[in-house]
Amino acid sequence: MTEHEHPGPDRQARAAHAFVEIVDTLVDRFDVIDVLTLLASRCVELLDTSAAGILLVDDDGNLRVMGASTEQIGLLELFQIQNEQGPCLDCFRNGVVVTNADLAAGSPWPLFAEQSIAAGFLSVCAVPMRFRDLTIGCLNLFVGPPRALLAADVTLARALADVATIAIMQDQATRAAAIREGRLQSALVSRIAIEQAKGMIAEHSRVDMEEAFTRLRNFARSNNRGLTDTARALVAGRISIDLIVATRLAHERRTH
Amino acid sequence: MSAAQSIRIAVAFAREISRSPEAHLCRACADVLVVAGAGITIMGGTAGGGPVCVSNQRMAALEDLQFTLGQGPCQDAFVTGAPVHASRLDVAASERWPSFVDLAHATGVGAVFAYPMTSHGAKVGVLTLYQEDQGDLSQAQHEDSLAVAEVLTETVLSLQAEATSGTLASGLEDAVAYRAEIYQASGMVSVQLHIPVDEALLRMRAHAFASDRPISVIASDIVARRLRLGEDPPGVARPVRG
Repeated sequence: MTEHEHPGPDRQARAAHAFVEIVDTLVDRFDVIDVLTLLASRCVELLDTSAAGILLVDDDGNLRVMGASTEQIGLLELFQIQNEQGPCLDCFRNGVVVTNADLAAGSPWPLFAEQSIAAGFLSVCAVPMRFRDLTIGCLNLFVGPPRALLAADVTLARALADVATIAIMQDQATRAAAIREGRLQSALVSRIAIEQAKGMIAEHSRVDMEEAFTRLRNFARSNNRGLTDTARALVAGRISIDLIVATRLAHERRTH
Repeated sequence: MSAAQSIRIAVAFAREISRSPEAHLCRACADVLVVAGAGITIMGGTAGGGPVCVSNQRMAALEDLQFTLGQGPCQDAFVTGAPVHASRLDVAASERWPSFVDLAHATGVGAVFAYPMTSHGAKVGVLTLYQEDQGDLSQAQHEDSLAVAEVLTETVLSLQAEATSGTLASGLEDAVAYRAEIYQASGMVSVQLHIPVDEALLRMRAHAFASDRPISVIASDIVARRLRLGEDPPGVARPVRG
C-alpha cells in the first residue's frame, strides 16, 4: 500500500484477522516472543512501513530488544538503548507517540539519526505499549522514504500494540499468581508431609509424636538434608523408614 | 470491585483485626456480608489443607464433615472454580451431598453458599457462607461475596509470599495444625497396613463414614493407639485390646 491509498475493505479484514491472531495467543500456550514477533510482522504487512522493532521493559526497569522484523532493526533498537537516545526511549519515558518524518532534516537524537539513515530509514514513528498508566514498552515503526505515517496507520498501530500489551500483562498476572499459588501449595504439602512422617516413625518405632519429630530432625541433620525434604522423601517412599531408625540406633551407640 | 465495596470490606476487616491480634477474618466476612456464619478453608489441591477460621463451632462441624467425606459445596466450589449456591437444602441437595445435608439440618443451617478463592487461575481455598433460613443471597450479597473472596485470596497469597520458602505463613499455620492429628494418623496407618499415606487417609475417611464419627475423632483414637484399622475392607476395624 502506498501513502496515498486509503485503507480499503481488504485491509480492514486483514487488520481484524491480526487482532484475532493476537488474542488467540492468550488461549493456548502463551509465549511473549511469539506475540511480539506477530505484532512486528503484522505492522509491516498492514501499515505503510518498511520495518518494525519492539522494546519491552524488564523486571529491573531496563528496556530490552524483544522483537524485530529484521536483524538490522534489532541492532538499531539496541543502539538506542546503548546510547540512551532515540524515539523509542522518548516514547517509553513519556508514554506518547513520537514521530519524526525526516531524520535528515534534524532530530533530538543525532547518534540514532545517523545510524537509521545509514540503514536506509529516514522516517520513524514510536508507539507506546501502554495499559492504563503503565507503559511496558514501545513499538518502533521504520519507513524508508522521508514521509510521515498516515494518521489511520498510527491509530491501527496503537490498537495492535494495545491488544498485545493486554495479552502480555494478562500472561504476567497469571504467571505471578501461579508462582504464588505454587509457593502456598508447596508449603502446605511440606507441612502435611512432616505430620505424616511423624506418624510413620511413631508407628514404626512405637514412640510418641514429639520423639518421632526429634528422630526425623536428627536424621535430616546428620544427612545434611532439609527437614521437609526428608519428610517428603519418606512419605513418598524414596527413603526407607528402616534407614531413619538405623541412623537413630547408630547415633545412640555413639553417644552412649 | 466498586470503590464503595472495597471501602466497606476494608473497614469490616480492619475493625475485626483491631479487636484481636489474631485476625478474626471469618467474623468480618459474616459481618460485611450479613450472613449467619462464615468459614475460610485453605485447600492445596489433593494435598488437603484446612480451615483457617470459622465464625462458630456449628460451621466447624460442617467444614469437618466435608473434609471427612471429600464432598460438599466447598469441594465442588474448589474443583469447579465457580460459586456453589445451595439456597435450599432440599431433596435435590440431599441427593448431591447426603451426609452434608443431614448434618446441616441437624445443626440448624438452612442454606450454604461456597465461593472459591481464586486469582488469575490460581486456587487457594474456599469461602463458605451459612444462613439459618432457606433462600438466595441478594444480588448485592452475591457481588460482595465475590469481592470478599478476591480480597481473601490476595490476603492469603500475600501472607504466604512473605513466609520463608517451604514453610507456611504463621497466619495460615492453623489450617494444618488443626488437622495435624489426621495427617499423623494417616502416617501411622500407612506403616500398619503397608499402604501409601493417601490411601491410608481414604481408609480413615471410609471408617469415619461407616462408624458415623468425625474423622478427627478416628484420627485421635489412632494416634492414642486406641484404634487400629484392620487390613479388611474399608469400614471394618479391630478395637485394640488390653
